[in-house]
Amino acid sequence: MGMLRANSLAFRLFVVSALWTLIVLPIAGFLIFRLYKDDFQTSFDVQLKKLVIALTIDSMSEATDRPVAPTNRYEPLFEVTLSGWYWQIKPLDGPLDKTLVSASLASSTLPSPFERKFPSDATGTRWVNVVGPNGDKIRIVEVIDTLGHEPGTPRYSIIVAGPMDWFEASVSSFTTRLATALSLAGLGLVLATLFQIQFALRPLREIEKSLGRIRSAEAERLEGQLPVEIEPLQRELNALLQSNQDIIERARTQVGNLAHGLKTPLAVIVNEARDAKTPFAKKVAMQAGVMRDQINHYLDRARVAARVNVIGGVTEVRPVVDPLVRALGKIHQDTGIDIKVECPAGLKFRGDRQDLEEVLGNVLDNACKWADRRVRLTIEPADPDNLSLRDGEAGLFRVVVEDDGPGLSAEQRAKLGKRGLRLDETKPGSGLGLSIVTDLVGLYRGTFGLEASKMGGLKAVITLPLG
Amino acid sequence: MRILVVEDDADLNAQLVSALSEAGYAVDAALDGEEGFYLGETEPYDLIVLDIGLPKMDGISVLEGWRRADLKMPVILLTARDRWSDKVAGIDAGADDYVAKPFHMEELLARARAQLRRAAGHAKSEIECGPVCLDTNSAKVTCDGQSIKLTSHEFRLLSYMMHHQGRVVSRTELVEHLYDQDFDRDSNTIEVFIGRLRKKIPADVIETVRGLGYRMSDGNAEG
Repeated sequence: MGMLRANSLAFRLFVVSALWTLIVLPIAGFLIFRLYKDDFQTSFDVQLKKLVIALTIDSMSEATDRPVAPTNRYEPLFEVTLSGWYWQIKPLDGPLDKTLVSASLASSTLPSPFERKFPSDATGTRWVNVVGPNGDKIRIVEVIDTLGHEPGTPRYSIIVAGPMDWFEASVSSFTTRLATALSLAGLGLVLATLFQIQFALRPLREIEKSLGRIRSAEAERLEGQLPVEIEPLQRELNALLQSNQDIIERARTQVGNLAHGLKTPLAVIVNEARDAKTPFAKKVAMQAGVMRDQINHYLDRARVAARVNVIGGVTEVRPVVDPLVRALGKIHQDTGIDIKVECPAGLKFRGDRQDLEEVLGNVLDNACKWADRRVRLTIEPADPDNLSLRDGEAGLFRVVVEDDGPGLSAEQRAKLGKRGLRLDETKPGSGLGLSIVTDLVGLYRGTFGLEASKMGGLKAVITLPLG
Repeated sequence: MRILVVEDDADLNAQLVSALSEAGYAVDAALDGEEGFYLGETEPYDLIVLDIGLPKMDGISVLEGWRRADLKMPVILLTARDRWSDKVAGIDAGADDYVAKPFHMEELLARARAQLRRAAGHAKSEIECGPVCLDTNSAKVTCDGQSIKLTSHEFRLLSYMMHHQGRVVSRTELVEHLYDQDFDRDSNTIEVFIGRLRKKIPADVIETVRGLGYRMSDGNAEG
């Protein structure tokens, strides 16, 4: 999962809660297991103890001088051979009586814990787990009793044994179920933690997306209702963005004012120096030219850079084209240029209106300057079949500007677009204005190319993103 | 041809006035929007060079004011702001052309010549009238292919007559369009220059329309 990078809040929260789960669940499991086992053992032992007491009472009556086989069958399995349930009454000293055993023991006997020096508990009872006659594990309880109370009366070992295998099976089945339940609980907790982290941190991811939108100029503020903990951050961030924008705007305005303010004195200097023919005047004129180029260059740069901070709007193309063509028609009125426009209504450009104006204006103006009579502007959606559109990418549209002027050689076309480069100084205007076109088109990840037109002149082909 | 320059930078204004005067135009100057608007509204200029950033009244408002008053003289806008949106706004406000600062004076002069020709209805840079030919670009006059030397005043007069050939031009009109506002306007001087011109080009090219003024025509046009 992408959100669980090592250095992330989500990862920290997840690790802490997963560790907690991993530590607590096994401990809880172990405690439950112990409790269950002890409880089970206790109730088993109570049962064995009851049986041994009942047998003792039954067989060690004072009315007889020796123990008798108990008549009461407390446990039916005493009668089933090798059932795991056994009893045995064995004389420890005195007259060597026969050892009495349950039918289930068949011909074997049980080892007496007393004889094997097992210590007794506070009630004089001995507990021991041994291997029974058929190889099963059994639990033995033994009491030592006498027939009378006089000293020296022979002692008997009374034993009851119960099978341990089903006890163990029961415990192990409980353990399995317990482990399964706890594992599921652990898994559930981990999943819940993941969900919890996802849910709790969602506002942060919203912020991330919003910031992305701000960076890609789709939004200018951090929008949305954020949790109270992050609200101050949002407020501060928005204030920062605002102040940042103000600073940029101010700086841009000042650069613009400075540059434009310099243009008038520069015009004075240029014109003053051009009249004089001294080397000094020539130097001044040359340097003034350099200054002019610098100013234009940085003004263009400021324009392009400013675009990055403008919200990417959508501009309908036709309402931009029409006034431009009207204006150009008027500017180039005396050469009688006929500008033919083909532009589908409703076609939209994903970008700033002024940028589109600059691109179209410069390319069209250039065509008008060189055209003999005719300029053709064709705007159409680019053929989507010729493009490999990636996901989320908008389509493109194509702007083709052609003229019937002298055109350019392939070599000249390749040179064009470089800043300050003018192939012909006789046509008015500073440069061909194509470098700003290249800059702007590049900013929108469009393309700009020059070809030879069938009309005889130059053919400029531009692609820009559709809105 | 009479031109008004509206530019608030005194140096640039002076340069424009001197360059345009040298090119043979009568030039008036205004240093702010209000003065420029007043002059443009009251004097019959053949062309106006108008800065956009002006004190008191900005260039676009001045231009719109003129166009609202139905004044049709060509206007060339002069501005440091050269984005296409600015240009379109200027043209839409009624400007005929647009020159971005800093500019070369030659470029402005070329644009001015083009606007003057266009306003007079001439498409080509060479204007012909019978044997007389005026190259507006080089300011050279030829008659039957022979170059003719003219003084500055003679050139102004001939140029105006050539631009407006075929129609009667009154002496008042000539005075108004050939001299700037500070000039001592004596319409008798016009007669003197007409006389001198008639010695340099075929006399019948400029005919006197009694009581009305003068008409320049190629001779075989309507009488």
